[in-house]
Amino acid sequence: MNHTSDTAAGNGDTFSPQQAAALLDEATWDARRKLVPNPPWVLVTRGVLVLAACGAVWLSVRGENPYTGPTNADIPILIAFIVLNSALAVGFRRRAGAGVSGPSRLRPAEIAIATLAWIAAAALLVALAAAGLSYRLYPTVVLIIPGLTWAILMMLRKNWRGVYSGASVTVVGALGLLATPAGAWLVAGVGLCAALSGGAALNAWYQRA
Amino acid sequence: MPDDALDPLIHVPTRLKIVATLAALPEGDTLSFTRLQDMIGLTPGNLIIHLRKLEEADYIASEKTRNGTVSITNVALTGHGRKALDNYTHALRDLLGDHL
Repeated sequence: MNHTSDTAAGNGDTFSPQQAAALLDEATWDARRKLVPNPPWVLVTRGVLVLAACGAVWLSVRGENPYTGPTNADIPILIAFIVLNSALAVGFRRRAGAGVSGPSRLRPAEIAIATLAWIAAAALLVALAAAGLSYRLYPTVVLIIPGLTWAILMMLRKNWRGVYSGASVTVVGALGLLATPAGAWLVAGVGLCAALSGGAALNAWYQRA
Repeated sequence: MPDDALDPLIHVPTRLKIVATLAALPEGDTLSFTRLQDMIGLTPGNLIIHLRKLEEADYIASEKTRNGTVSITNVALTGHGRKALDNYTHALRDLLGDHL
């Protein structure tokens, strides 16, 4: 092992406790900021996006009598929004996790389960439609299975911020079932925006703690 | 409390940054050398010097893995290193009162 003196490597003699405290605080905050998969500003942006998308649908359907739901022209926009939102989440998770390995990373089996949950949600929508219950009547039902699955996966990992994310999405999905079909879009928009903003506040607190 | 209550191995700006950065990882996780270098903003040679000192004290552990022809070095704070940082933080708190 090649020994190098502290003089060559950076001497701590003139490093005061006050400077050390400030540097420790800054380095911890900076590392957490770079390693967190969902930076607060990204979560807030996603919240605003979901509020805008679901809010726009709610504005277009709230006066319908009888209720017919979003038009076929709205569907591609909604799908594009879901893809954009997912891409944002995955992109930032990948960037934060670059170079990180170990138990905090999602295992392939967990990724498969989370993917299956979305497929199950889509299958449920198809089944409901076959039974005459269009997703237009219960738009938030799609959130329940993936949200619950994520909450359980995160609970098994004792990742309580992850549990919050999954549980809050599940609650929004369940609350939407209690609303009118048009009102469910508002519940989805406001509820998911609130959940994402809450997640942003949690992450901001964690970075500062 | 005198300044020498502070662990001299950690009480060096660069090593304090390294240790604080690795402590931000969830327990059991490792960070690649290149990512750590990117996060701290050091030259590879300088980073290696500091990592060696921390490894000699068993504050960090490093592991080389091969991915095809590419060799990747991962580093992590050991339990001993995490405890040393805790002790260092407590010593700083004692020195500075409530200012930390």
